[in-house]
Amino acid sequence: MNATAAIAGATFGEAVRKRVLMVILLAALVIILISPAFEPFAGRGQRTLVMSFGFGIIQLAGTFIAIILCTGLIPTEIERRTIYTILSKPVQRWQFVLGKLLGAIGTLAFIYAMMGLVFLLVTRLSLGAFEPQVIKGIVMFFFQSSLLASVTLFFSTFVSPLVNYFLSAGVFLMGNLMSTFLETIQRNPEVTPLTRIPVQILTIILPNFANFNIQNPIINPEQVLTDELAYFIQTIAYAIVYMALLLVGSILIFNQREM
Amino acid sequence: MGGYSIVSDVVIKTVKLTKRYSSWWGSQTVEAVKNLDLEVYRGEIFGFLGPNGAGKTTTIKVLLGILYPTSGEAYVLGKPAGDPETHHRLSYLPENPYFYEYMTGKEILTFYARLFGIPEPERSKRVNQLLDRVGLSRAANQPLRNYSKGMLQRIGLAQCLLNDPDLLILDEPTAGLDPIAHIDIRDLILELREQGKTLFISSHQLSDVEIVCDRVAILNRGELVRIGKLEELLSGGYVEMIAEKVSENVLEPIRQLGGRPSWHDGRLIVEQPDDGSIDRVIDLVRANGGHIISVKPYRRTLEDLFVETIQGGRKQ
Ligand SMILES: Nc1ncnc2c1ncn2[C@@H]1O[C@H](COP(=O)(O)OP(=O)(O)O)[C@@H](O)[C@H]1O
Ligand SMILES: [Mg+2]
Repeated sequence: MNATAAIAGATFGEAVRKRVLMVILLAALVIILISPAFEPFAGRGQRTLVMSFGFGIIQLAGTFIAIILCTGLIPTEIERRTIYTILSKPVQRWQFVLGKLLGAIGTLAFIYAMMGLVFLLVTRLSLGAFEPQVIKGIVMFFFQSSLLASVTLFFSTFVSPLVNYFLSAGVFLMGNLMSTFLETIQRNPEVTPLTRIPVQILTIILPNFANFNIQNPIINPEQVLTDELAYFIQTIAYAIVYMALLLVGSILIFNQREM
Repeated sequence: MGGYSIVSDVVIKTVKLTKRYSSWWGSQTVEAVKNLDLEVYRGEIFGFLGPNGAGKTTTIKVLLGILYPTSGEAYVLGKPAGDPETHHRLSYLPENPYFYEYMTGKEILTFYARLFGIPEPERSKRVNQLLDRVGLSRAANQPLRNYSKGMLQRIGLAQCLLNDPDLLILDEPTAGLDPIAHIDIRDLILELREQGKTLFISSHQLSDVEIVCDRVAILNRGELVRIGKLEELLSGGYVEMIAEKVSENVLEPIRQLGGRPSWHDGRLIVEQPDDGSIDRVIDLVRANGGHIISVKPYRRTLEDLFVETIQGGRKQ
């Protein structure tokens, strides 16, 4: 366990020193901070503006950071040969992969904590009240990004970083849209099963990223979640199970891998 | 229990080990190691020699389980290569080692010590000891990105010693280092042998290993071309004797003793096999009125052997 923790720690240490990631984080923090300045343009009311704008920036930054960080996690170790001294120690390959993933999740926790704190501050100052909804949104986005990180890490065990950018971004977009798309299709009686079934299968296989986008009910309180707690638990459990499956897949592929 | 644990004195063993690299569509293949049979015994310094591209690093990666054999077998410390359990007892210095640059010397050694599972307070103690031993105590808190190549190599050696290993696998440990660093590393290697450790050292520079190796294997284009004790491989040197004022009568008896006499500017030069017969030749020369100017042994060097073997291999 110590080895896994050491690898996770080293991964985190390196990630928070990675310039691209910190530039994205800083840019996001600055934009969140200055977002109340757009107030005069708010047509739909101040709260909606501040909330949707902040959540949008946070999700965007988290998504980019998850993909950029995870495409390189394993390939970089191989390319610059740092992996040789690690795998020649009493470290199992699964410990290496798990350590990398935990390091990435730790990094995401860190950046979401930073963005969340600043967003809380901004909402407190501009809306005059503490907004617990911010925390809920941040937690959901954190799990969404962690799931995305597992997807990217999984792909990184067998495709090049460049291909991985497109693959991961594609899966993220599809995973965000598929469930809505499927609902639309199911409501339309003209769609044949020949079209519907593949869409259904794809919707089940692809990670459902849409479930984490709870900013809509948060931004528009009239759109009510029937049982919020159950919904949260279910969605988080879904993320964890899906991540575990991806982790197993990553390890199986990485075990065969030669460096 | 698998492998060769019965013969506990065999630390590394490969049987018909073959490693082929192929591009993933399989159109191009490189056979980097071919049918390699190797045994390395406990307590010896084993030189694994060959020119660049001979397949040394590939073999080492297979021994560590970083690559898998295409065919054949490899055993390390009595277990199939790559068994993480055996990794507690071995250590590895890669060719041109590279480490996390953002860490300091002390942090990187602490990181590796954690990978070895060494608990505190033992961990800090050993890290500090080793920083001291490789002469990096003063640079301990500087990030590795400020280290010179020689300093990185010393960090590399320090991380090899963290677990007090039985077997050290060093890939080109002196490549690209200045002469002083060469000597440091050679001294360290000798010190480790004193402690009874087994060392497997790859090199394409012969002068480094010549003095320290007990046995060597020479690899060329993936194939083992020579293996044996250094003194056996280097036998076959000769003794050169120069004399003057000798009568030609000695020529025939010298030839009968296996020597090769020749004349240069009225001087007799004899190349005599290094088998003790030089005494009889000297007696002969003296008995025939000759005057000995010099007697000089010419030992074969590893370099000679290397060039002979590799060129022999190329001609085929
Ligand atoms: N990852 C790889 N893919 C394809 N060919 C490789 C790879 N690594 C090494 N080779 C080839 O295998 C041969 C042996 O290389 P290597 O084991 O590095 O030799 P050495 O360490 O003796 O210099 C060389 O021809 C080299 O080009
Ligand atoms: Mg090499």
